[in-house]
Amino acid sequence: MEAQLTRRSATACSGLLSCSSRSSSGRLFAPSTKTVAVTSIRQKSSAARLRRALNIPPHPSFVLKDTSADRIIFNPPSSEASVFHTPFKFLPKSDPRRRQNIAELFKSQATGTEGTVATGSPSLDPARLPVVKKWAWEQKPHHVTAEQVAEIRRLRTEDPVTNSVHKLADKYNCSALFIRMCVQAPKEHKEKVKAEEDRIKARWGPIRSAARAERKRRIDMLFAGEL
Amino acid sequence: MKRLRLDRWTGQLLVARPPTSTPLRYARPGAVCARLAPRRQQSTAIATQLSTSSDGFDYDRFPPLEPLPPTATSLPSPTPDRALKSARLAALHARLSLPEKLPLQTLARTLVDSSADENPQFNNSNLAFVGQTLINYHVAEWLMVRYPRLPMAILWAAMAAYSGPAPLFQIAQSWGVKSAAAPGGEVDPGLLQFSLEGLNPSDRKFGYSRLEVERKHKFRHSISSGVIFDDDYGQLIFDGKTGVEQKEPTADENGGDQTPSHMSYGDEKTRLLAEQAHAKFVRALVGSIYAHCGRDTVRAFIKSHVMSRTLDISTLFQFKSPTRELAMLCEREDFEPPIARLLSETGRHSRTPVFVVGIFSGKDKLGEAAGPSLDAARWKAAMNALKAWYLYSPGEHVRVPSDMLVSDARPWEPAHIDIGEVISF
Repeated sequence: MEAQLTRRSATACSGLLSCSSRSSSGRLFAPSTKTVAVTSIRQKSSAARLRRALNIPPHPSFVLKDTSADRIIFNPPSSEASVFHTPFKFLPKSDPRRRQNIAELFKSQATGTEGTVATGSPSLDPARLPVVKKWAWEQKPHHVTAEQVAEIRRLRTEDPVTNSVHKLADKYNCSALFIRMCVQAPKEHKEKVKAEEDRIKARWGPIRSAARAERKRRIDMLFAGEL
Repeated sequence: MKRLRLDRWTGQLLVARPPTSTPLRYARPGAVCARLAPRRQQSTAIATQLSTSSDGFDYDRFPPLEPLPPTATSLPSPTPDRALKSARLAALHARLSLPEKLPLQTLARTLVDSSADENPQFNNSNLAFVGQTLINYHVAEWLMVRYPRLPMAILWAAMAAYSGPAPLFQIAQSWGVKSAAAPGGEVDPGLLQFSLEGLNPSDRKFGYSRLEVERKHKFRHSISSGVIFDDDYGQLIFDGKTGVEQKEPTADENGGDQTPSHMSYGDEKTRLLAEQAHAKFVRALVGSIYAHCGRDTVRAFIKSHVMSRTLDISTLFQFKSPTRELAMLCEREDFEPPIARLLSETGRHSRTPVFVVGIFSGKDKLGEAAGPSLDAARWKAAMNALKAWYLYSPGEHVRVPSDMLVSDARPWEPAHIDIGEVISF
């Protein structure tokens, strides 16, 4: 209510200001008398004003149109969904909740534009929402043959500097993870890379190393469900 | 500092009875023990002032609290017949509303740890073994039916959070069980008695101790082998010797200086010993209820004291690569592959953006989460989806197999048990 009152006064202010600027074309500032009138806010100085300000009408979802029978008003505040509410898809075949909801499942599949049964959220067509990031399997399909895997192994073992993981991934159009699954670099190469990394890390100052450590800790906390 | 004017003290202060403790004089077995209860001189000044007896005590003025049997101080634990006279024991029996069938003598025996009395006929080891199997069986079957998809590691953690030593220690403390400073035949039988002198080698945890622990420097500690060899919480079992070798260096590091073990009070080791002793007492009490009152009573006792505690199982999870695990889950269950989609966002170019990401499999939303970056929100949403999978429950009041032990039970309907975890490490 407080927010509503101030917004109304704010809109009034801007209206007055625009009028004055239009009337005084070319002048930068409005006359001082008008400015005083603009900044005045109607306070809740009297009991009647306070009572009127606090007299808020109920939210529309709480207004019962049909009072003939007892009803349950379900109007929870917006919050994160509980993980204890199993999505419909995750219910096992034997679960009675699946059998109860089977009619709605058919309905949602038939229309296609209806929301999901599990969440009950209406009007969101998932296909229209933007994709955040494609999964690795979607970006790179499984197409590498056994001969190519052998070649990847040979190339990476022979010259790990020229045939880096990402170069090989680009060459065979697969993910870097797949290259790493196929072959490991020779030991001396790994030690060389490690030494180079350590040399770089030794040059980090306290601020950068603390920021790195904090970032790692934040990710660990995220995976532990603490964030 | 003001001088104490003992001659001006009132009579009430002077005749106040000291708390139960054993003076060194009575530690030797002799004629004195026969007539006196444990008590202590209040101060040397009073003793000299009031001494009327040959050994410095006015026995008319300070009558003994309780006559002790002649051999009391030479015994490692109190004799069973003293249990009937202990106010603490009777209070504990009444406070827990224990059934009348459970005698006070058995209750007294549950309070004697094997580190206090090595004789298995007088300590609580055997009762504790029965109690541990009963508690763990009931908790395990209930968790298994209530959350049929929990991964093994989470199941172990939940078991430890319900019936491990730490919660049982809390339960014993909430029952108001106090422990004696040192065990002995003269202490009140209502006090928990255990020794702080170190882990008793004969007192092992129940289970197998692996040969790999001693023979190999490094070995693969897999979940499958843990199910078979380790204890009910997935922890390695050391025999007593190995356990002491592992525990003692930490205790010395914490202690710092060269204080002997019985002098150091409240360090890591003593706390561990106290926790084990309290947990063992709770288990022994459960075992004694089973021995005297039977299956149904012990089940009701475990339900009301152990399983009634609140545990948020969703906080036990720790993921390594949630998106990969979710993709493998969807592949295993023949769902459409998961896709992360942006539901809403605010302040993308600000310092504190919020992205709400949902994970969809086909048209169904599996999970949803908000995060400060697209990646964080996606990971969190995948974690929520996985938790929703793992924390599936057929209902709050599920039937467990032990429900069938009642004579007029309904026929058993098979419970849903999942095939196992998605990725096992």
